[in-house]
Amino acid sequence: MNPRPQPLGRVLDAHLHILDRQVLDRDGVPVTTADDLELEGIEMGVPIDPEAPPPFVSAILTGPDLATRIFGGRPPVSRRMVIPWRLVTEVGTTIRLGVSGDALDATWVERWVGDHIIGRIPGGRHDPD
Amino acid sequence: MKRIFGVALGVLTAIGGFVDIGDLVTNAVVGSRFGLGLAWVVLVGVVGICVYAQMSGRVAAVSGRATFEIIRERLGPRAGLANLAASFLINLLTVTAEIGGVALALQLATSVDPRLWVPVAAFAVWIVIWRVRFELLENVTGLLGLTLIVFAVALFLLSPDWGSLAGQALQPGAPADEAATTYWFFAIALFGAAMTPYEVFFFSSGAIEERWTEDDLAKSRLNVFVGFPLGGILSIAIAGCAAVVLLPASIDVTSLSQVVLPVAEAGGKVALSFAIVGILAATFGAALETTLSSGYTLAQYFGWSWGKFRRPAKAARFHLAMIICVLVAVAILSTGVDPIVITEYSVVFSAVALPLTYLPILIIANDREYMGDQVNGRGMNFIGSVYLVIIIAAAVAAIPLLIVTGAGA
Amino acid sequence: MILTDLLGSDAVDADGTRLGCVVDVRLEIAGAPGQLLAATIVTGILVSPRSRSSTWGYERRGAQGPFLIARLQRWLHRGMFLVTWEDVARADEGVVRLREGCAHLDPRLPEGHRSR
Repeated sequence: MNPRPQPLGRVLDAHLHILDRQVLDRDGVPVTTADDLELEGIEMGVPIDPEAPPPFVSAILTGPDLATRIFGGRPPVSRRMVIPWRLVTEVGTTIRLGVSGDALDATWVERWVGDHIIGRIPGGRHDPD
Repeated sequence: MKRIFGVALGVLTAIGGFVDIGDLVTNAVVGSRFGLGLAWVVLVGVVGICVYAQMSGRVAAVSGRATFEIIRERLGPRAGLANLAASFLINLLTVTAEIGGVALALQLATSVDPRLWVPVAAFAVWIVIWRVRFELLENVTGLLGLTLIVFAVALFLLSPDWGSLAGQALQPGAPADEAATTYWFFAIALFGAAMTPYEVFFFSSGAIEERWTEDDLAKSRLNVFVGFPLGGILSIAIAGCAAVVLLPASIDVTSLSQVVLPVAEAGGKVALSFAIVGILAATFGAALETTLSSGYTLAQYFGWSWGKFRRPAKAARFHLAMIICVLVAVAILSTGVDPIVITEYSVVFSAVALPLTYLPILIIANDREYMGDQVNGRGMNFIGSVYLVIIIAAAVAAIPLLIVTGAGA
Repeated sequence: MILTDLLGSDAVDADGTRLGCVVDVRLEIAGAPGQLLAATIVTGILVSPRSRSSTWGYERRGAQGPFLIARLQRWLHRGMFLVTWEDVARADEGVVRLREGCAHLDPRLPEGHRSR
């Protein structure tokens, strides 16, 4: 096998290192799992120009896909929630974001349950003893 | 004193795994039918859970990731979902049985109908999870659950024929009046009970609740090597008491009152009250452990925020899931079903969950990206692989044996 | 384009012969510097002639235990190779076409650092 070209920075594989990993916000609070990635700079069916810059990762996609996980297929992009890749500060055993989870659309279910259900039970908003 | 409480997590995990309501009765049933002929299975199970709990505790302390997150990452969404479904059903059935078990223990103490105690027990379980700090929860239930040691004391007070007990233990095999298939069914049930997945889910999530880091590895090992063998000893003591008192008299174990009969015989009312306190604490502790495990597994699979160390409104779906679990458990119990019978069927789901739980743990414990220098040594890998084979064999044989023996009838 | 559209596609060379399945996409965090992290660019794809997906990565990483599982995994994914992005001609529905004379490179990842 020919040796691979020398890398300039951190090298990783998308499926091995990113998919299904936990996404944490700036404070270490879990946000969601990384279900998919959006790649920019490449189109389906369009020949790739050898001079063009390589495609890059533009966003993490996450969203309600329990049924598709069981039966196969993929929900359309419009149903997926998008976390822009520029918010990511670190890719390790988890993916860390540089912002607080509350600022993201992707956490709206958690915030809704927190505000409307759990928050209404006495003691729900108290810090644990 | 702090040192004693430092092992509370291991003790509580072991209590929920070895002497919850299902195991209390199963151990007594086994003792009353096979004597100590299945004691070797408890030993095999204790070593197995020690090996894997130690691995998952180390993974949690070093990498900060709990077991079900690892399962999702390594098995992928589909196989991970299969494990989630099986584990969740085991948890739900066990929560139902434990809340029923708390009610049965209260009946033993007060002679009030257990169905009246069910809502009280369910509310108590929920309020403790809602408000009580994790350390306090594990210290109190762990300590009180240890009063089950009274079974070991009772065994000595009964002055048994140690020679014949040892003979039963060292000559594994079905006695004349039991079929070999029934013997192996109970062997698998006891092994599955010793290595139930929720034990590693709870232990590793508890490690994160307690904020263990790489400096706490010695503490993690202490928890494992004190807690689980203690659970094994309690298991064998209960079986031993049944072997000495119930086996010769051919008394069948159908309820908690037969389980505590040997203790009452050995030590009278005082010993009996210790046993009841122990059973109450153990079933309550197991209820807490399995309810929390339901929350942990769902939250970790879907990537939700979780943990008792967070304000409930900040781990909202985690708490909501547990509330729903407890409500479903109460609904199931209100149909009048015997909680003990329920646990016999969770062995079916264990068959699916066991290999899918332990394989990812073994893999991640070797991954330098997660563990750095704390990866498994050769010895640990060897024994872990041997146990993986045993686990797969048990998983494959569980359902056929369940059907053939009619759940050990 | 969505990553999972690429994963699982067949990889065919310039003549149309099927070389294998696209099991992964190799990335490098080394593009234009961004606010928090440099841009993460696609540097290649991983093609496996004998398997459809590889989530454990034993064939791409150095010595890892446990021994038997590592051996089994390396055998299942034997023949996997890396193709640099310059050698990818186009991506269609379910098929990725490679350029003529594309090099089959060693799929192994460089020894990485451990991060939390």
